[in-house]
Amino acid sequence: MELFLMSITTGIMVGGIYALVALGWVLIYKCSGVLNLAMGELTLIGAYVSLSFYSMGVPFLLSLLFSLIIGLILGILTEWVFLDKLIGKPVLTVIMVTVGLSFFFKGIVEFIWGTDTQVFEPPVFSIEPIRIGQLVIGQVYLWSFIAAIILLVIFVSFFKYTRWGLAMQATADDEMAALSLGVSARFVYGAAWAIAFMAAGVGGTFLGNINGLNISVGYLGLLVLPVVVLGGLNSVPGAIVGGIIIGILQNLCGTYLDKYFPGGVKEIAPFAFMAIFLLFKPHGLWGWERIERV
Amino acid sequence: MSTTFLPCSVYHENYAQDHGWWQTTFITGKMILLAVVLLGVIPYFADMYSLSVCNQIGYTILGALGVQLLIGFCGQVTLGHAAFIAVGAYTSTLLILEFPWPKILITAGLAYPISILVAAIVAGLWSVLFGLPSARVKGFYLILTTMAAQFITVDFIITQYVSQIGGRGQAFSLPPGTIKIGPWVIDNDLKVYYLMLVLVIICVIGIINLLRSRSGRAWVAIRDNDISAEVMGINVVWYKLMAFFVAGFIGGIAGSFWISNLAAISPEHFPWFWSLWLVGVILIGGVGSIHGTVFGSIFMVVVIELLQLAVIPLADIYPKLLIDFLFIKEAAFGLAICAFMIFEPNGLAYRWWQMKNYFNLWPFSY
Repeated sequence: MELFLMSITTGIMVGGIYALVALGWVLIYKCSGVLNLAMGELTLIGAYVSLSFYSMGVPFLLSLLFSLIIGLILGILTEWVFLDKLIGKPVLTVIMVTVGLSFFFKGIVEFIWGTDTQVFEPPVFSIEPIRIGQLVIGQVYLWSFIAAIILLVIFVSFFKYTRWGLAMQATADDEMAALSLGVSARFVYGAAWAIAFMAAGVGGTFLGNINGLNISVGYLGLLVLPVVVLGGLNSVPGAIVGGIIIGILQNLCGTYLDKYFPGGVKEIAPFAFMAIFLLFKPHGLWGWERIERV
Repeated sequence: MSTTFLPCSVYHENYAQDHGWWQTTFITGKMILLAVVLLGVIPYFADMYSLSVCNQIGYTILGALGVQLLIGFCGQVTLGHAAFIAVGAYTSTLLILEFPWPKILITAGLAYPISILVAAIVAGLWSVLFGLPSARVKGFYLILTTMAAQFITVDFIITQYVSQIGGRGQAFSLPPGTIKIGPWVIDNDLKVYYLMLVLVIICVIGIINLLRSRSGRAWVAIRDNDISAEVMGINVVWYKLMAFFVAGFIGGIAGSFWISNLAAISPEHFPWFWSLWLVGVILIGGVGSIHGTVFGSIFMVVVIELLQLAVIPLADIYPKLLIDFLFIKEAAFGLAICAFMIFEPNGLAYRWWQMKNYFNLWPFSY
């Protein structure tokens, strides 16, 4: 029972990070209709940037802030250079450009930072776990969760209450109408990519804090795909709930199924789950169902 | 895009001519020239390095053909084709290593050809298994299912289970002399080259003929609009699954061909990167064109080799370049895909088509 509770809490904590990264993904899809397969690499870039600043001696929070700023710039640049020219092109074209982007980013990250595992040195969070009753939670997980929640709240309220967020919402709802009312599409797409970069960067930084930073953190970033499929591609609450569910599921599988398999269950479980889920409920929990006509 | 304008003063008088493979003497001459180059010039004048590049091209063509069939002709985007190639390669290897072959088949050198066929069928069925969701989902969701196919097949089943068979550890090494077709032992690049040539020609001709048949037209109808295809009476699910089977079949052939070139196979030979690479090849070559598959394969392999050659002299100045070449390759590949998608979304095959038409219609190109 204790083991069960433990894996559920860890799952929720990690799921918070997945939810944050998935939120960025959903924003891009909602605003510009781009199905982004480069999310894993976005997490890598943010994580490595903050790691570099941190190992130069910058305090952790400040290096996180720097990585947010660089994410903002990179996001707008990416949108301007690559995706601006693809508005109105077929879906496959846009998806493949994001695949190309993922290779490009990955190659550059590996070229600059290498493939060896790097850790945040000195450790940001003490390894002394926090005890709440019977539960034992690592500090990294707790702080990651708190940071993820704070950022989720910031992003969602940006989306809901500010002028720019409302412009993004309008574009997501009906692009034509929003454009004719004077919303700048370029700004909206740029903002969506910037938010995705920033969210992914923070997510990546915390994921890198948990187990050290290497290319496989990018693979964790790829876990947004099961998350958004579960939640529905264009639903912000779906992304958050989906992230937490996938986090829990992954940890439960890691705890209970590892005995029966030679290994690797934890990595595969979300994707296997996604394949099965797609068979029964392809539109996710809260995604829009499109009716197709000839 | 596949039809070209005929040159001036060439007319067809019956249906058979209209559907002929080589419609003019010029094309026949071109094909004979191609055969001479492939069979005569390359094997006799190329060194071992160029031959290995040719083999790489052939492997890429075989792998990309299945992707082309699925994406370019049936509209089912797949990002997990390396899984089916891996299934083919592992089936073939395991059959050669573990199956109790009768003595007569071994001495006749039939073990490897039979294993190619079995591997192709197994890979095809495996592909159908992961194509089943295409009955219900399409577009982005199907992309995700095929991605799941890659992770489940290669990273889980093959790495964790199949690699343990026989207790050989991660890599299955093939003892020399086991890969044998008839009296010929495939042991150097030249023999691999001939095997590659035979397989590529069979597969390309097979696919082209399949595309001219009823099922080929059904696939194209599904690609263009699956709902109207269904309204017209095409059994959409059946033809989609058939496309998956054929694609997996060719993937299996590709995989079992490639073990003749590898001393040992391990799951690292079939990463997700390779699936994406194959999709990139057909995008650069041109979606929906067999020419495009070949052009894309040649382009990608040759460009990477040239890049490598260009890096070697630079490495004296900056030695890190040589170690990090893999990463430069990845970045260059990604940039190439982006550039092609943005500036030339129809791929190299479209350029080829334009060029051909220019010369066919010359000097009256209106």
